[in-house]
Amino acid sequence: MDFMLTEEQEFFKKTVTDTIDRIVTPKAQEIDEKDEFPWDVWKEFTKLGYIGLRYPEEMGGMNADKIMCMIFYEEIARASVGFAQSVIMNMLMGTYFLFRFGNDAIKKRCLYPAIRGEKIATICFTEDQSGSDLGATRTTAVKDGSGWRINGTKMWITSGPICDFCTVLATTDPSKGLKGLNFFLVEEGTEGFSSGQTINKLGCRGSVTGELVFDNVWVPDENLLGKELGKGVVYVGDILDEVRLMTGAMALGIAKGAYNEALEYSRKRIAFGQPIAKFQLIREKFAEMDTLMNAARMLLYYGSWLLENKMDCRIIAAEAKILATEVCLKVVDELTRIYGANAFAYEYTPQRYFRDARFLLYGGGTHEVLKDFIGRTLIGKL
Amino acid sequence: MNILVFVKQVADSEAKIIIKADNKSLEIENKYTLNFFDEFAIEEAIKIKEKFKDSQITVCTYGSKRSIEALRTAIAMGADRAFLIDNAQHPYENSIVVAAILASFAKKEGFDIILCGRQAMDDENAHLGSMIAEFLSIPHISAILKLEIIDGKKARVENEIERGRATIEVALPTLFTTQKGLNEPRVPLITGVMKAMKVNIPVIDPFTLGILKEDLNSYSKKIKLLSYELPANRPPVKIIEGETPEEKVNNLIKILKDEAKAL
Repeated sequence: MDFMLTEEQEFFKKTVTDTIDRIVTPKAQEIDEKDEFPWDVWKEFTKLGYIGLRYPEEMGGMNADKIMCMIFYEEIARASVGFAQSVIMNMLMGTYFLFRFGNDAIKKRCLYPAIRGEKIATICFTEDQSGSDLGATRTTAVKDGSGWRINGTKMWITSGPICDFCTVLATTDPSKGLKGLNFFLVEEGTEGFSSGQTINKLGCRGSVTGELVFDNVWVPDENLLGKELGKGVVYVGDILDEVRLMTGAMALGIAKGAYNEALEYSRKRIAFGQPIAKFQLIREKFAEMDTLMNAARMLLYYGSWLLENKMDCRIIAAEAKILATEVCLKVVDELTRIYGANAFAYEYTPQRYFRDARFLLYGGGTHEVLKDFIGRTLIGKL
Repeated sequence: MNILVFVKQVADSEAKIIIKADNKSLEIENKYTLNFFDEFAIEEAIKIKEKFKDSQITVCTYGSKRSIEALRTAIAMGADRAFLIDNAQHPYENSIVVAAILASFAKKEGFDIILCGRQAMDDENAHLGSMIAEFLSIPHISAILKLEIIDGKKARVENEIERGRATIEVALPTLFTTQKGLNEPRVPLITGVMKAMKVNIPVIDPFTLGILKEDLNSYSKKIKLLSYELPANRPPVKIIEGETPEEKVNNLIKILKDEAKAL
């Protein structure tokens, strides 16, 4: 067994940390307060090429391994989870189906510019009555000549209101439930495609999240992103573990940012004539936070290692997502206790971590759904 | 142009540093970074290469294996190759020793320009550049703020002097030390980072550079570290009391006169 990052991975981690701390961290509070998409930070950051991290070199990517990707997700979420959401959407879910199934013209038109940060990508699963329950998807795609006609409304779409294109999940046969689902590419400017309400979110502010409306949208056959009709859910399954691990990495990133704040504050804050870090009950908090974060990171890296080596990681990925998120919630809670009343003020950062952490409960699957999946899989058919 | 850049890996400004019981050695938290002033040297080398396309940028440091990280950062920014001169056999931090070793490397590699940070952020000695130049018998201009290569044979530079700047023309080869204001060091592109991750960085034994052990021993004996001391703790902050601003100012003047004896 080897628990060490390689010297090269350590270098990558340090460089990513330094880069993010130079470009994103100084803007994090402003991104949260303004709650507008930070185009200036986006342009400055994406020109460095990180969006292509997980894609092959011939596509403008870097072909990085899964551990490196997790390091990146963690570090960017540590700085600003609102900004991280948009970046990761372009890196992973927003472009995955184009990479896998898009023809050359689609790749040239959408995928490569998205990898360069010139186009904003997103994916649309959630509707008003369906999130984890994909079988309840009501958006339809009906065959119409040499293409498909799409109707429906999607909700909670990260970068939705500003996207240049989206991959939308729709049913081509509602009678088949999960086996009727397929993915389609819809580009901005297509007739009938528009954005609806933008959501005023509790956390992850700075990423623009909202509704996307598909009103009789027609797309050509080539926009069906899948080799076989009705396999949409199977294709989702192929990326689900990576998405769950990524969500766990983001949770760890928030936890790390919060932990660092707590550490700095407890060393400086004087109470009863000494830094509060000298009090045993404060020290106990750090012992507990560090223990939990290390445990979550080990599970997360183990899952990523399994994924990298193409081994079954469905349970570990779900467990890592749950543990990392719960640890994150615990750490941000401890930060607000260590900070005392100042944590309750908008001018300090703990409230941002506290709000941001809540989102990870839902992204990548609710813990109720994930725990049911884990338990069901472990127990097996009765 | 053959450009040499000498860099140093230093403790990060946030790293915890403890003076050990012998008062002569330090325990440094494992947080290291490329010396701040060296980033300007690397950036300037890249700028020269952008102008003189056939240039080669070679980065070198004298240090432990850990220093490879700083060299990788230089590669990620845009340097062509990097070398680590391993200090395991002769781990002196004495500047004359380091300068002699780096000068030997420069002699072996050949160069048109040498760039390095004006000082390291750990020891803040600010004399390595001039020492290397002395060993190489070449000119040295410190703390430059502008560098222009003319015809590949000479350089016009501006450097900081007391309350102003001087413009100097100098024949190459010359050693320049760099400082903030010269340029804006670039953030590495991911392509550079990946290249830096994969690059092979040769590790050199200093004694293969034609330097004699007796010479190093002789240099190292010239300077002896006696002890490290922490700066004295700052006295507690004193809040000047007073009901009105005028009263506070009067009380402050009284304290400055009677207690601090500053007036």
